[in-house]
Amino acid sequence: MHLINPSLHSRRAFLRRSGQLALTGTALPFALNLAAMGEAAAFDASDYKALVCVFFYGGNDYANTVVTYDDPSYNLYSTIRGGGAGQSAGGIALAKSALALTLLNPTTALAGGRQYALHPAMTGLSGLFNAGQAAVQLNVGPLVVPLTRAQYNSADRKTYPLPPKLFSHNDQQSIWQSSSPEGSTIGWGGNLGDLALASNSTSLFTCINVTGNAVFLSGDSALSYQVSSSGAVAINAVKSNVYGSAAVKTAMAQLVQQPRTHTLENEYNKVTARALGAEAAITGGLASSTLATPFPASNSLADQLKTVARLIGARSSLGTKRQVFFVSIGGFDLHDNLIANHPALLGKVSDAMTAFYNATMELGVASKVTAFTASDFGRTLSSNGDGSDHGWGSHHFMVGGAVQGKAFYGSAPPVSVGSTTAASDQQHVGQGRLLPTTSVDQYAATLAKWFGVADREMAGILPNLTKFGTAAGRADYPVNVGFMG
Amino acid sequence: MDALFNHPNVGPFFGKQMIQRLVTSNPSPAYVARVAKAFNDNGAGVRGDLAAVFAAVLLDDDARGPAGLSGAGQNGFGKLREPMVRLVQWARTFGATSSRGSWKMGDLSNPATQLGQSPLRPGSVFNFFRPGYVPPSTALSASQTPAPEFQLVNESSVAGYLNYLQGVVRNGIYVNAPDVPNNASNANNGFDITAPYTAELALAADASALVKRLGLLLSAGQLSAANQTLIVNALNATLVTAASTDSVKRDRVAAAVLMVMAASDYLIQK
Repeated sequence: MHLINPSLHSRRAFLRRSGQLALTGTALPFALNLAAMGEAAAFDASDYKALVCVFFYGGNDYANTVVTYDDPSYNLYSTIRGGGAGQSAGGIALAKSALALTLLNPTTALAGGRQYALHPAMTGLSGLFNAGQAAVQLNVGPLVVPLTRAQYNSADRKTYPLPPKLFSHNDQQSIWQSSSPEGSTIGWGGNLGDLALASNSTSLFTCINVTGNAVFLSGDSALSYQVSSSGAVAINAVKSNVYGSAAVKTAMAQLVQQPRTHTLENEYNKVTARALGAEAAITGGLASSTLATPFPASNSLADQLKTVARLIGARSSLGTKRQVFFVSIGGFDLHDNLIANHPALLGKVSDAMTAFYNATMELGVASKVTAFTASDFGRTLSSNGDGSDHGWGSHHFMVGGAVQGKAFYGSAPPVSVGSTTAASDQQHVGQGRLLPTTSVDQYAATLAKWFGVADREMAGILPNLTKFGTAAGRADYPVNVGFMG
Repeated sequence: MDALFNHPNVGPFFGKQMIQRLVTSNPSPAYVARVAKAFNDNGAGVRGDLAAVFAAVLLDDDARGPAGLSGAGQNGFGKLREPMVRLVQWARTFGATSSRGSWKMGDLSNPATQLGQSPLRPGSVFNFFRPGYVPPSTALSASQTPAPEFQLVNESSVAGYLNYLQGVVRNGIYVNAPDVPNNASNANNGFDITAPYTAELALAADASALVKRLGLLLSAGQLSAANQTLIVNALNATLVTAASTDSVKRDRVAAAVLMVMAASDYLIQK
């Protein structure tokens, strides 16, 4: 739901025009006329910076990820989730004793004696938090305007608009990534890329996706370029003789890249042409970019993040100064088997993100690379018997040397599934589906500001941001949440 | 269930998705309406007669008329063939068999080395393609035109498909332990699923006839004349006669199949 039309923003219109000019030609994206885009340069990018979005597909169960720990809160959690006597495990509740090793110790304690621990499988991330390299954003999710529970329940949708299609996987994935539901083609990662294109000598390598297609990295002119966990894939039939024939090789090169009149044919061939054009540079860059940091095995997210780290290591040869990456891990839609399946997923997340942080240390860019998490939505606090159901707000992680770590941002939601008028029942919309107290736009703006986006450019990237912050009379919803300083 | 089944939205919802799966990614509202009408009533007062629905999808003028191939403004008509459908089409067209009868194709999900798609293994409960998926950064995004099958298209998967195809069309699908129901390697590892190419090998000495046949069988005659010429010329660069060895003939047949199945006028079914 775009409340403003970012297309009308003149600089964005310029970017779109120059992008169209470049992309209608038959030339490879390397031919993008960067000089013409110079006037759009947003960053004085003499240094290097990268943002890495780690997406949890399926909607992560917030309550067993960042687990409430102080006795009053834990006891409420245990009661709601069917925990056993004496703070033991039961139902879909974790035992309190299992959380001691992953207790988070913020520099400044939360109000009201609130405490959190991470899931016992997340020792890596709790270690980074306590060492000051990671922070937790509490209860963040899509919002069009700041909302109370009463306003959420109001019939006045004009004054209190909701994000479209709440609780729907595909749409909320899209909204987290792009502020619009399924069918959206412009994501905020891509919009950051639009501003960064001119900083990179090869604009194609601005937005790199190391997992399946996602709208997050597609901008007005920035493309989402995809590499596999093993790097860029060469096309054998274009590289070497085919069954001994050089003529077939030559014909294949033509067939798979030729411009076509038919739109779908042409778009397909454009992807292949892009793959062919970029493969050598990526393969060459990765070949000279090796890491000593160990990454966990049998962990697809770790494989993806290792490739990201190696691409960052190759930044000089690839000519990149501002990059946005996208990686993902699936399997979080745990309506069933939450207790059985959640630990392995969170363990993979923690191990992979910790190894990635260590790799950025090895590369000497820990303070230049910020990883952050996202997911379709949080889940219910109440149990459905074997898991939890679709929710809204959730807790997320920011990791990196530039993160103001060892701290919580946002506000700690009361542990509640009640629906009375009591204050403790006002931060969820039923069954503990959190009503976000920080919007995705605020979360993204905080990251974007660090990345180098000027305040005046924010609205073009994050269409709902104008409804938040002091300028909108909502100092309680700051446009800079503060976790990047 | 009855209430859902009888809801008036079901016909258009189901009908549009069947058109997208079978005919074109972005059907006209009138086409969807005609299919929905057949869903609502098969002509004999029966709602939800799937035979009537699929007849309406496949026999519609939009699906069968010449406009879809060459009509004005029809440069977006059609759909990208799914990777798995391409492989199955190859297997059925050329009569592929599993020598042990086990058909152990395995998991073909890796986009960098295989098809990026494997039956019953989508990434989420939404299957492989969302009906509203619009490929970003394309001519389709400005007009918000969906092309669901493009959800699996990226720089890795287009390359992985071609590499996988190059091996399969020449030698078949390599299977570990085709004689037992697990993936442990054993002495019987080998190319268990292969195509005999009987009719194609008989045409191998005549590149032009071979490509014509493949264009008909694989692309329903939609391979452009220019691409047919390109492929025939590439094949003719290597001399093949009726007296050539089976291996030489197989190289030519496989090269022809590879080039046809790599061509975008094959990949986009119209």
